[in-house]
Amino acid sequence: MADSSGTTLMDLITADPGRPPAASGSTANTTSSSASASAAASQFPSVPMTTTSSSGKTILGEKKSKRATLMQIQNETISAAKAALHPMKTNIMPQRQKKKPVSYSQLARSIHELAATSDQKSSQKQLVHHVFPKLAVYNSVDPSLAPSLLMLNQQCEDRTVLRYVYYYLARILSDNGAQGLSSGGGIPTPNWDALADIDAVGGVTRADVVPRIIAQLSAEASNADTEFHARRLQALKALTYAPASNSDILGRLYEIVFGLLDKVADTPQKRKKGVFGTKGGDKESIIRGNLQYGALSALRRLPLDPGNPVFLHRAVQGVSFADPVAVRHALEIISELAMKDPYAVAMALGKVVVPGGALQDVLHLHDVLARVALAKLCHTVSRARALDERPDIKSQFNSLLYQLLLDPSERVCFEAVLCILGKYDSTERTEERAAGWYRLTREMLKLPENDSKSSKDKSQKTRRPQPLIKLVMRRLESSFRSFSRPVLHAAARVVQEMGKSRAAAFSVGLTDIDEGVGINEFADDDFNENPTADGARKASSMSSSTGSKETIASLLASLMEVVRTTVACECVYVRAMVIKALIWMQLPYESFDELESIIASELSDPAWPATLLNDILLTLHARFKATPDMAVTLLEIARIFATKVPGKIDADVLQLLWKTCLIGAGPDGKHTALEAVTIVLDLPPPQPGSPSGFTPVDRVSASDPKSALALQKLVQAAVWFLGENANYAASEYAWESATPPGTALMMLDADKMVAAASSRNPTLAGALTRLQRCAFSGSWEVRIVAAQALTTMAIRSGEPYRLQIYEFLNALSQGGVQSQLSEMHLSNGEDQGASGTGLGVLISPMIKVLDEMYRAQDELIKDIRNHDNTNKEWTDEELKKLYETNEKLLDIVSLFCYVPRAKYLPLGPISAKLIDVYRTKHNITASTGLSDPAVIATGISDLVYESKPAPAESDGLDDDLVNAWAANLGDDGLMGNSAPAMSRVNEFLAGMGTDAPDVDDENIVSKPSVGYDDMWAKTLLESSELEEEDARSSGSSSPDSIGSVETSISSHFGGMNYPSLFSSKPTNYGPSQTSERSGGNRYGSSSSIYEGASSPIREEPPSYASSVMQRHDSFENPMAVPESSSFESHDEGRRSTSGNPQFGSALYDFTAGGDDELSLTSGEEVEIEYEVDGWFYVKKKRPGRDGKMAGLVPVLYVNPR
Amino acid sequence: MLLAVLISNSVGNILVERFNGVPAEERLHWRSFLVKLGADNLKHAKNEELFVASHKSVYIVYTVLGDICLYVVGKDEYDELALAEAIFVITGSIKDICKKPPTERTFLDKYGKICLTLDEIVWKGILENTDKERIKRLVRLKPPTEF
Repeated sequence: MADSSGTTLMDLITADPGRPPAASGSTANTTSSSASASAAASQFPSVPMTTTSSSGKTILGEKKSKRATLMQIQNETISAAKAALHPMKTNIMPQRQKKKPVSYSQLARSIHELAATSDQKSSQKQLVHHVFPKLAVYNSVDPSLAPSLLMLNQQCEDRTVLRYVYYYLARILSDNGAQGLSSGGGIPTPNWDALADIDAVGGVTRADVVPRIIAQLSAEASNADTEFHARRLQALKALTYAPASNSDILGRLYEIVFGLLDKVADTPQKRKKGVFGTKGGDKESIIRGNLQYGALSALRRLPLDPGNPVFLHRAVQGVSFADPVAVRHALEIISELAMKDPYAVAMALGKVVVPGGALQDVLHLHDVLARVALAKLCHTVSRARALDERPDIKSQFNSLLYQLLLDPSERVCFEAVLCILGKYDSTERTEERAAGWYRLTREMLKLPENDSKSSKDKSQKTRRPQPLIKLVMRRLESSFRSFSRPVLHAAARVVQEMGKSRAAAFSVGLTDIDEGVGINEFADDDFNENPTADGARKASSMSSSTGSKETIASLLASLMEVVRTTVACECVYVRAMVIKALIWMQLPYESFDELESIIASELSDPAWPATLLNDILLTLHARFKATPDMAVTLLEIARIFATKVPGKIDADVLQLLWKTCLIGAGPDGKHTALEAVTIVLDLPPPQPGSPSGFTPVDRVSASDPKSALALQKLVQAAVWFLGENANYAASEYAWESATPPGTALMMLDADKMVAAASSRNPTLAGALTRLQRCAFSGSWEVRIVAAQALTTMAIRSGEPYRLQIYEFLNALSQGGVQSQLSEMHLSNGEDQGASGTGLGVLISPMIKVLDEMYRAQDELIKDIRNHDNTNKEWTDEELKKLYETNEKLLDIVSLFCYVPRAKYLPLGPISAKLIDVYRTKHNITASTGLSDPAVIATGISDLVYESKPAPAESDGLDDDLVNAWAANLGDDGLMGNSAPAMSRVNEFLAGMGTDAPDVDDENIVSKPSVGYDDMWAKTLLESSELEEEDARSSGSSSPDSIGSVETSISSHFGGMNYPSLFSSKPTNYGPSQTSERSGGNRYGSSSSIYEGASSPIREEPPSYASSVMQRHDSFENPMAVPESSSFESHDEGRRSTSGNPQFGSALYDFTAGGDDELSLTSGEEVEIEYEVDGWFYVKKKRPGRDGKMAGLVPVLYVNPR
Repeated sequence: MLLAVLISNSVGNILVERFNGVPAEERLHWRSFLVKLGADNLKHAKNEELFVASHKSVYIVYTVLGDICLYVVGKDEYDELALAEAIFVITGSIKDICKKPPTERTFLDKYGKICLTLDEIVWKGILENTDKERIKRLVRLKPPTEF
């Protein structure tokens, strides 16, 4: 933690005030300073160097002088090391200074000496003006100072000295032994731990002094003398810095705090409304207020014990305390406790929440954070499932929350909005969010009646109930007009959260319509963007409101208009937040031209840091997960990033986005998704300064070589992506071709074939065309990857695509057609190589594979004809030969790309019957991957992929080719690579992240390489996250061919590994999962909607009861799953609400404690019916010893699967 | 949690830093990140003009006051607005102590007092006192509310 700038600080402080400030210094100063420590000491004229003065401290002094010497040595060592560690500091300034800085040891010595004479004015002055301020510069305080500080604490009368003493005592307590870890920054203190060790004669160690400090401070904190109470507060404060890990100290602190509260908390009192430091009031009550404040502030810093009712009791009392800060702490404590046990909190708050109670007073309290805490508290209580039976209490808190929307402070208002929207902590629950959007758009703010008799009668007209949405929109719009950047940033963030809740409402709503549950509520919700439907609906729901011509859609539109203008803010962080908000507010069926052009013009600004741009890319990812329908829109936006700032964005994140979008886009969207990805390929090669006929969005801003390079890498990645995933997107596989390849089709000439192909599968044909273009134009890396991608497609696709590619590859290797074709494209000026395209040598093995396949097919057809003509049965020999050819071809093909061995027929569909005959005869099971020679030949990969074929090198490979790949891609250190993008995405989605930011210079940072190895490693990571059994079950023997391919890997030559679409399970994303999940959540979501309706505009939900009845006839249904059990994972929550039976096994023996409980033997298999309050209701397969089949068991005793 | 309060001079030397709940190994990153932010944006800033930044879920609000730059970093309930509140209290108190927007000299002359004031404003990563008069009283070891 050596901080070289600290030296400057000390230099400056010590320097003569008259001198101009030496703006900076150098690390070397420390060396000179400590070396000449004795000389420097002369600047303290009143501090004698030698140990003289009073008898009481002679021994200490002697010890000190020894210590001082040691310290000096230590100092020199440290500073020398420091100078070595930080040799360069950009701002090296002249080091000449008349006054030398003070060393730590000198300060320490001064304190000891001045402490002894603390009764003298001069000593006090010296301490206050010189010694203590300078000591503050050091980042920790030596425990050996403690005795002197404690002495000062006892003897000195001067308040300022004492204040410093408390400050330093607190710092000694807060030091956790590890140097430099204390919160105070500054010059590193000489290593006093080491000193204490050296000073074996009896150096003062931390272990010695901490108990003494604690004892003294505790005594002070318990001193009931009224004159002493200010010191009492400081002592208590200093005590809270003691490490909380020490249970002794903690226990004593609790004792002090609660002892204090016992004395001061119980007297009921009336708070003077919201004024700090009110004069007046009797002394006694003011002192009591101060002590209440001190006690609650200290309590707030201590760990809470939710099980102990005293905490809650005192905190609830605290709400009525006179001191506003005390009230804030009380509310914060209560809101924390409410997360654990909302029911108890609500009960305890019963009296203060009623109109006119203390909680209502908080609304007018002049403390922003207190009101923020109130908002949180209200939110927690009003959403608590535990309070489902007390709608009255919930609605009280709810209306309090809504009143906070009118708060003058943006901080409080926004907090209330976020609470209403269901954004509460990082555990994002779609249904809670959806309910949040519902609340915001439906509910009304009704102010309590009895308030109106207060002095604010003149504002009577605002007392009319108002729709929340209107209030919020108005507030946000005015915030967006603010000049303060934090306000703009916060407002944009609120809009973003609104977008999230809205997206959640849409996703939940739509599935609910499909499921036919809760139609009434959600049908409205879906159409509320529709102005006409909305107007009608509003009129009905807001019977009392007048003049509300606005619809939600129109309100939103005008808000978004303001949001868009905010993009003009000069602060990139605000702009980033605005763009995120726009992305979230974008709906799938809206035109996104405006958003697109905003982003495009934003990205032209070089001021954007790379981290921020990647953050936005991650937002796209999150947006996609919320609404898979957005895939195409989001990909379009991602493309802008790829073209505008190729150097700044993380190719991994982009690839991941492509992949998830493609998988998630659903059967209909796959084509468009693939199109969107591959538009990257249509970009012209970057040519600085050349006029371009493309639209501004498409113009590549890769003017500098680095971003040009980065763009090339992106294009390469896109080409590879296309080759690997085109078949998936087109649902075209050789092994499951819908129509058998007509031989007639193969007779056609090339043009007709292309036409026929594209009419049959436009997606694949389109991808083919793109790849063919890439194989001609673009840089040689792109061409190589394109050829590779084409081969993959040729192998995986049926006819006529294979033939089409075959023909094309042949042409390519000869370079004959090249000149014709490439005229269409801009040449990049590169020498195309001797063989025309320069790819001949690379392509030849690929062509060879296809050659082999076609030749074998021809042979087969010939054989079949012969047999048919002569009416001869196939002999075993012939069949064996056929089978062997089949296997050989499979092996070769597997080297190029993954194909499902069990289904893939290199000899064409005709061979299927004959091979089957041979297999059944010889009892050969359809090959599992394990018998695959390719697998046996591999090392690492089969560890990772268990039973899947993997890349291998065999004799059949062209050496040149292998070398080319190796040279291009480097060696594959796959295993060691981490997966930065994946973890970043997950982190982002989880809303995590306090990690320190990277501070690379943006100009340098422009991602040096795409690192395909990294990408591949990332896929490894991702697929390893998937459930293993699922991965296995969809292995090569699975009947579902798509499923089988998906779990495969991209098995190219040695290092040729990219993340493959096939390496992840589509069920992880996309519609299938979404529908399944939202289906499962149906009950939960509807219940939370209804719960939202339990406030002012409660309606009788028609389907509520029926959905309960369907599941169980008791009230203990999934809805009762307590929200409060926060440890319960999301998964479990979901499981318990889904209708599917869950199974689990008993982890331990459990003996039933009551009639409704069920005894378990460990290891026993059970079926979990549902969960309630930490118990599973389970069924056994067979009755246990007690004859019971079903009953309750503790959740922790069962391991659900 | 108010993760950090950091005060630097105009060339980026750190004068005061208070970290709360930031692992030691991340502090260096934060320091340089903040100083770089300041160097990029605070050149022509007006006194007490607020700037905002964010990194993941952490918010940063910073400003310039005389010769010194102030940065506060927070997360969760300390979002940009709460941080703006905190930085407002800090700048107000510093101005009071130094009588006017401080030069580096005057800031350092009052270094001890500023540390005590900060100690009253931020207590273990939680914003404590926001009222200037009250802070002043507490720094002088007077009770928060006087009689």
